[in-house]
Amino acid sequence: MGFIFTLPAAIYMLIFIGYPMIQNIILSLKNVDVYSFARPENQVFVGLQNYIDLFTSNNSILVTAIINTLVFTVCSIFFQFIIGFALALLFNKKFPGCSFFRGVTMISWLLPVTVAGLLFKFMFASSGGIINQFLQTLHLIDRPLEWLLQPGTAMVAIVVANIWIGIPFNMMLLITGLTTIPADVYESCSLDGANKFQTLFQITIPMIKPAIMSVLTLGFVYTFKVFDLVWVMTKGGPVNSTELLSTYAYRLSFEEFQFSKGAAAANVLFVILLIAGIFYIKLINEEEEIM
Amino acid sequence: MKRRRTLAAALAAATALGALSGTGLTAAAEEGKKEVVIWDYFETDAQKEMMQTLIDGFNASQDEYVASHTYVPFADYEKQLTLGIASGELPDLVILDGCSMASFIELGLFGDISDADINWDEYIPGPLESTMLDGKHYGIPFATNCTALYYNKDMFDEAGIDYPDENTTWDEFREMAKALTKDGVYGFGNAATNTDEGTFQCLQWLYTAGGSYTDIESGVDAFTLMQEMIEEGSWTKECVNWTQSDVNNNFMAGNLAMQQNGPWQIPGIEANAPDLNYGVTVLPKKDAEAGQATSILGGENMGVVNKDDTSGAEAFLKYYDQTDVMVEAMKLYGSYPPKTEAAQDTYWTEDPIQQAFLLQIETSIPRGPSASWPSYSSAIQTGFQEVMTSAKTPEQAAADTQAAVDAIQ
Repeated sequence: MGFIFTLPAAIYMLIFIGYPMIQNIILSLKNVDVYSFARPENQVFVGLQNYIDLFTSNNSILVTAIINTLVFTVCSIFFQFIIGFALALLFNKKFPGCSFFRGVTMISWLLPVTVAGLLFKFMFASSGGIINQFLQTLHLIDRPLEWLLQPGTAMVAIVVANIWIGIPFNMMLLITGLTTIPADVYESCSLDGANKFQTLFQITIPMIKPAIMSVLTLGFVYTFKVFDLVWVMTKGGPVNSTELLSTYAYRLSFEEFQFSKGAAAANVLFVILLIAGIFYIKLINEEEEIM
Repeated sequence: MKRRRTLAAALAAATALGALSGTGLTAAAEEGKKEVVIWDYFETDAQKEMMQTLIDGFNASQDEYVASHTYVPFADYEKQLTLGIASGELPDLVILDGCSMASFIELGLFGDISDADINWDEYIPGPLESTMLDGKHYGIPFATNCTALYYNKDMFDEAGIDYPDENTTWDEFREMAKALTKDGVYGFGNAATNTDEGTFQCLQWLYTAGGSYTDIESGVDAFTLMQEMIEEGSWTKECVNWTQSDVNNNFMAGNLAMQQNGPWQIPGIEANAPDLNYGVTVLPKKDAEAGQATSILGGENMGVVNKDDTSGAEAFLKYYDQTDVMVEAMKLYGSYPPKTEAAQDTYWTEDPIQQAFLLQIETSIPRGPSASWPSYSSAIQTGFQEVMTSAKTPEQAAADTQAAVDAIQ
């Protein structure tokens, strides 16, 4: 009987998740490109050739894209988490206007990503951008920085934009975690004479460890597949310095019409996320066992 | 419960809307006319007016077909076409960038219309070639253009420098740009963003230096010129993120003394900066002994989508094939008709700026044509960006770009 209850979910998963995934894997093992797309008789299985080409060929930037994606993800999550955690601790205290300000910080999460991308593109403009004007007024730089024009700083710019977008997500999940800590725990440790730091590191963090792990894994998955923000701000440039796995897969499929290579690049992205996903599920199961 | 009812109402409204638009479509069919749907990415008012004039003219000229057009944003255009091939939701005619046509012929989007009653031999060879594959015709060129050198006459007069002309060499151009660079004004700027729009403008420097899209290393002098001028500050580095509109906006605002751009910017300059005192000439040539600089052909083609019945699309091409129709449309559009004879209209030949573009078109070449053009374009533009941002030396960038280009089948 239980089988019948899971049937709708199973059918949904098969059609909308299983089918595209299997199609994509099959596509990545074939040679579908601009020349064979319209001629199915010329489409043959080439095994792992597309993957080998992506990792070794001269004009493939897959390795660069993987490194860029990792740098982008790790830097984004590190700062999103720290700032999000600090804000969560702040808004967990009750003070006048608390819920209003908590609402205001959600704006960056509610704004469409393309709009946020355009705003940051204007803010980072080398002539007339507000960030350069601000830094010059503070005499931190003596002439405008070419944020989006230099390979090194372009990555900084998209990471900053992504941190701004992701802070509320981290904050909200952590606040939810904080509300599960019973007040009497804090009472008893203040009676024992614990200072603020001891309370934070001995009580708060261990007690919301499950929430922290969820935030970090989900944050990793969301950040690793970011596409629109980068596409709007830099299109992967200059000189491929902000090309991520997602933008590279899109470029291969829809700009160069190398459909099989594009599918292979997307699968590389998928495998990395799958590992993160398995890690996340394992984590949840462990927690349930403890409970 | 309330929310669910709202959702149901919204769905019902959407269905009703769908039904309404459905009846709109069948109205034409009821009159016994066949529909011809055209896709384009035209955004400016002048371009929209041109399309409407063309469609009204076609609809009035016969009573068998009724044409209409659908706007698809340029950024999504090729993706929509690719998805359309897979899903079958396609128009009858597609207006698209000339350099993408070869890829889409290869992808099976367009049908063979070699038997259509079109005056093929009246077309300029370069643009016509871009509508063909293996000797078969898949459409006709719609508009043709190229980029040339715009210069701000007031800035040249103020600095006491002679205007550039068809004899200007790279060395002289470099001196001019250097002398004109001051107080927030750059001597020169072009579009070098990392899309095909950037390749379209940068590639001419490579050809003028003696290279080609498959032979990068012979054009290494172009890389050297770019890097040195950018390091001197006379060629703005901002151009690595500039589109052609960005370049023109900066030229109009007086931030650039010279720009590389196309004739379609002229209506915009007349509307937004009517007092700008500027001239246009051909792009600088390599040295005194060299011939006129090469430019890259731009413009659109009209391709006939591969369907069982292509008669409506062919009728539209036949209508556009008339020289006077083509000339009127191109006056509105700000490009040149792709027919040798049509481009001789006095509207163009008696205007010195238009004449400069017509002279430049004579030494312009198409991109590719190759179905792999997008891959070439992306590899080549990466090379230009490496040079412009000084990420690599010109020699290193040329060698690496050559290797990337050689790896494309």
